[in-house]
Amino acid sequence: MVRASRRLLKDAANIGKAFSDFLACPLSKQPLRHCEDSQSRISETIGVSFPIIDGIPCLVPKDGKLLEDQNKSQVENGADPSSGNSERDLLLAVNIWVTGLI
Amino acid sequence: MALRRSVTRLVGDLNLLPSLLPRGAALLHSHATSFGFKEVPEEEKSKLVGNVFTSVSSNYDLMNDMMSAGLHRLWKDRLVSKLHPFPGMKHLDVAGGTGDVAFRVLESINSVSRRAMQHGLAETEEETQIYICDINPNMLNVGKKRAIERGLGENHCLHWIEGDAEALSFDDGSMDGYTIAFGIRNVTRIEKALAEAYRVLKRGGRFLCLELSHVELPIFKQLYDYYSFSVIPAMGELVAGDRESYKYLVESIRRFPNQEAFARMIVDTGFQKVEYENLVGGVVAIHSGLKL
Repeated sequence: MVRASRRLLKDAANIGKAFSDFLACPLSKQPLRHCEDSQSRISETIGVSFPIIDGIPCLVPKDGKLLEDQNKSQVENGADPSSGNSERDLLLAVNIWVTGLI
Repeated sequence: MALRRSVTRLVGDLNLLPSLLPRGAALLHSHATSFGFKEVPEEEKSKLVGNVFTSVSSNYDLMNDMMSAGLHRLWKDRLVSKLHPFPGMKHLDVAGGTGDVAFRVLESINSVSRRAMQHGLAETEEETQIYICDINPNMLNVGKKRAIERGLGENHCLHWIEGDAEALSFDDGSMDGYTIAFGIRNVTRIEKALAEAYRVLKRGGRFLCLELSHVELPIFKQLYDYYSFSVIPAMGELVAGDRESYKYLVESIRRFPNQEAFARMIVDTGFQKVEYENLVGGVVAIHSGLKL
């Protein structure tokens, strides 16, 4: 009976893309959502997206981009968000998150 | 294996010793601001180390073979055997860029599974998952290519992730095993990497660290120093065209805490049954601990 229920659980897991989601946001440690359109993983809690490059998820904290920044740059169509700005904003996001913890 | 001598030492509990805190803190600070024998701002260290590995990535495995005369393969074999991999395990190999340790874990598990199937014991439904995490994308790309060469390109057990050992992107208590081979001395804040290792391991999870360490044996030490400071950078220049990176690698070994000090750090993080095993008279040490 145990074997049967295990098999059921395994099938259920196979339906979703659940497997790789032992992955968590490196900053907030909360679950990540996979986004098909932008090919990235999104951390809802702090609104940051992490790119997937060459099939490798880049989950280094400083590689994260704030979601508002991304939307803005898409709207402005080619306007280049300077890396300095996104770093500063990421720092702001981290600060907000850290303050939330205290 | 005439040169191999293994001595396992069990490190005592923290309460048996007077507090080493002031000295410990100074040690950690000095590690965070040292790039080899140079002093650098803490924020700079990560970038400098990144540059080193981007530069060495394409020749990394060849240089490992040359510098250690192929011994690094045996050291990694020993590391993986101490891990006791099992089918269905979730394993994290940090700073594992080119995949050496991960491939060995996978092969070990496959051989266990095969034996189990032969005896009609294949009951595990859970899938083995091995995560290879490295901060440097070039190292990961080399690893992925090697996986393809070994026919593991489509293997669904291996996952390549770019991430920072000091801020891992994994859930608490999600891993059965954690290994870091020749990576911990490149991390800026060792205690953060150790704390993250503790966080992601499940209860009963095993921590293993393979790292170049300190040699104390009198004459051997002199020979080893000569080899490190004269031969290796020259080899680096000849083979990889990069003397400076190999000079950094050699210097960073000397700046890294010795076996006992590092073992204390592991105990301080919360691990139990911490021990270390010296290989080749201390040229390399495998530190291990359990999260209980």
